[in-house]
Order: sequence, then C-alpha cells, then structure tokens
Amino acid sequence: MNVDGVIVIFRRVLEIDEITADSDFFELGGDSLLATRVLSGVARTTGVELSFDDFLLAPTPDALAKRIGAAE
Amino acid sequence: MRVAVVGAGLAGLTAAARLTEAGAEVTVLEARDRVGGRTHGIEVAPGSWADAGAAYLGDRHTRLTELMSELDLKATPTGMVGDSRFELGHGADTRHGRFPPLNAVALGDLFDRLADVTATIRADAPWLTPDAAALDATTAAEWLENGLPHPDARLFFPLFLGEMMAADPADVSVLHMAFYLRSGGGIRYLNAFEGGAQQDRVDGGAHQICERLAVNLDVRLGQPVRSIESTDGGVTVTTDSGPHRADAVVVAIPPVLADAIDIRPRPAVPRSTERTAPGCAVKVHIIYPAPLWRDHGLSGWSVNAYGPLLSTVDDSPTDGPGVLTGFVTGTEAHRFAALPAAERRAAAVAQADRLFPFLPEPIGFHVTDWVGDEFSRGCYAALFGPGDWTRLGPTLTERHHRVHWAGTETSTEFFGLMEGAIRSGHRVAAEILTLY
Repeated sequence: MNVDGVIVIFRRVLEIDEITADSDFFELGGDSLLATRVLSGVARTTGVELSFDDFLLAPTPDALAKRIGAAE
Repeated sequence: MRVAVVGAGLAGLTAAARLTEAGAEVTVLEARDRVGGRTHGIEVAPGSWADAGAAYLGDRHTRLTELMSELDLKATPTGMVGDSRFELGHGADTRHGRFPPLNAVALGDLFDRLADVTATIRADAPWLTPDAAALDATTAAEWLENGLPHPDARLFFPLFLGEMMAADPADVSVLHMAFYLRSGGGIRYLNAFEGGAQQDRVDGGAHQICERLAVNLDVRLGQPVRSIESTDGGVTVTTDSGPHRADAVVVAIPPVLADAIDIRPRPAVPRSTERTAPGCAVKVHIIYPAPLWRDHGLSGWSVNAYGPLLSTVDDSPTDGPGVLTGFVTGTEAHRFAALPAAERRAAAVAQADRLFPFLPEPIGFHVTDWVGDEFSRGCYAALFGPGDWTRLGPTLTERHHRVHWAGTETSTEFFGLMEGAIRSGHRVAAEILTLY
C-alpha cells in the first residue's frame, strides 16, 4: 500500500480531509479506538496485520506505508 | 396554569424549573424520599462524594454545562494519567493507554462495522432509518454472531456495549445499539475520556444538580403516582395521599415505570414492551485511604473479561480518599446483584486486589444496584429490544391528551445520558407553554 492509500484510510477514519503524508494520526485526534480501524483497513486491503504498537511507532501515512511495505 | 410533574430526576426538575420561570404553578411528585432519580451521591468520607449513578459529561453536553453554570456547579476532569490494567483471560497485564492487549485488526473490524451501521441511522427518528425493519428485528448478539468471527472481537464486544450503554448484546436490537451510539456522538466520542463523553465529572457529585434545582420548586417526596386521568377540563394525578389537579402533567420517569401508572384514557401505544429491558448497571465503589494506584504509575482504569468488575476507573474526589469505581454491566450485573452482600464485597475486593496488588484493606465499600431499584428499573437507561423502536418510536414524544412525556428515553439527542434528560425537560416545557 502506498502513501496515498494510507491517506485515504486516515481521511475515512478521522473524518478529516486535510491529511498529508506527514500528518500524525494521534495529533489529529486519533485515539486507540480509531487506530484499530486504520489497522483493520490496512489489513483488509493488503493482508498485512500490524499491531497497535507498530502504529504508535509509525503514526504518519509516510511511516505507516513504509512499515506496510516492509511487511508485504 | 398548573402543571404536575411526575419524577424529580433531571428531566422532571429541568421541566419544572422552566415552567415555573414562565409563571406556571408547578408541583413535582416524587416516589422516592430524595430527588435526583438516576443521579445519586454517596458520601464516601466526610465532605467527599462519589456518583452512584450518572457521573460523566463532555463538552458536547451543552445544556448540562449551561445548567451547571446557572447552579454554580463546576466540572472536574476525569483524570486518566498512567497505565491501564487488563484481565482478559491470561492473567493481569499492564499497558500504556487504554488499549486492551487484544488483536487490533479484529477490534478495528468490530469498530468499523459499528461505525458503518451507526452512520446509517436517522438520528432524529431511528424508526425511519432506511433499513429500520431489518435492524430492529435483529439483536446485537446476532449481529456479532453473523459478522465478526474473531474471538477477540467476540470477547470485547459485550464489554464495550456494557460500558457504552449498560447492555447485554442479547437485550438490544441492532437499531437501538446503533441509534444509542449515534445519539451519544458516535463510538469515538462516547468511548473517550479526554475529548469525549467522560471528560469531566461534576465537582462534588452530579446529585447536586437536582438538589439545587429543587430548592426553589414545590417537590413532594414519597409520593408514587398511581393514576392519571385526563378530561376536557383538566388532569387529575393521584398519589396515595390524594389527588392533584392540573392543566397538564409531565411524566418524567423511565418507560417501564410510566406504564405502571393507570393512565386514563388508556394510551393506544405503551411506553415499553415485554422486550424493553432494564439498563444493566451495578456500580461498585471501593474506598481506600488515597488513590494509591497513582503512586504505581497506574490510572485506576482496567478492562476485564471476567466479573464482577468489568471495568474500573479512578473517581477519587479532589483532596478526598481514593475511590475506585467498578462497573458491573450486562448479564454480570444480574448475577452479581443476586449475591449476598458479603459475597459481593469479597468478589469485588478480591478482583481489585488482583488488578492493584499493592492495595490495602478498603476503608469503605458501596454497591448501588440500579437493576433492582424499584423507582428506576435499570440504569443508564431503558434498553429497546427487537421491535421496540418500530412500535414505540413514533409516539415517543407525542402527548396523550394532557399527558406529556419527558425523560432521557424520550430524547433522540444524547439518549440515556444526563444531557438527554435535560433536553427532554426543555422540550416538554416548551411544548406545554405553547399549548396551554
């Protein structure tokens, strides 16, 4: 999944349009509940199942896309 | 104009205050020997109070916030600093934040599906939701069974519904579940402490709202209403000590209790059905000399797969003792409430000791059983079972002759919460002031 794919998921879950590759999910109001929805969105699209802790360490579309890429 | 109000909870007293302000002569009839309804304070140490009933509010609860400011009451933040504890079937874990150590993707699937169904609900009239018939025919338990196979989703779902709405998934229709979550602001808002519906508590206890409202009102305690008869000339509201005549009556009590009043003429549609279940909440307060978990880097928050305490939260008053509040919800509430007092205490304290092994012997212990309470019949709110919204929804706020309905269960905004009760009180007062 590329950065744009992650941005689409961030937009859907956070219900915020202004998301860029560097937007920090947790600074934009994301909490643990919403974070699980990002992870399930990623898993449905790519088959890659990341953990909550993975996401904490990669909370931007750019960082998360890299992590997904490494796992794919 | 004379108005009788049945029920001195938030809805009834808010309506009574508005009507009095507008010049009506209002008498409030309350079954209990106290005001407050499902808000109730327990003095856990001299001058320190804990909320045995409704407790939390957030910044979207605008009517409640305004009312508190009128009554000179302040909000105090629900502190959630430190790590959480979880007992989810393999011993107790400590984790940073509130996220349970369960499969995040499985929980995400659950929340995605909840968000999807919640988004389809017509918030102002759930019975008119496009797919209402199907959603109202299915229980939340069946909904889970059919779509979410992962064991972690199945473990967490009843805990989540218990926390959000004090419901056993078998008791509520999908329509009611989705409506409730929508009405309260969506799953993220309802679930959140900071920035959500549990952000604050009322400093000194939520029971003070009704106590302060009642000061300037004519409230008669210990007066359960037995019958209400509307005629062309007025309405007669009868308690064991006699009749009260008025031009209109506000019935501001839970639906099952409203149905126990002999209302003549008889309404064509009742307020509840045999599928309407009580909100299943028993609240436990365990009192310690101080909130000692904080010294160990813990917030007091826990989520547990086994009861009695399915979740715990630090409700310690400022400068007071340590108050660990335990929520016993869903089917566990029925089981726990039926235990002898000594067993309830032993089970709850033993669980607190497993979660927070450094705790000393508690200095106080309180159980508030809302399920068995004859003048509430459940808490947080009535649970609409399959078919209920379709049958009861269209007449939820529709007056019946001189009988007007209030209570948090008549508010499609913030249903089940203090905010919903207050909004229903405002709505019913405006209705009466327009009509009479």
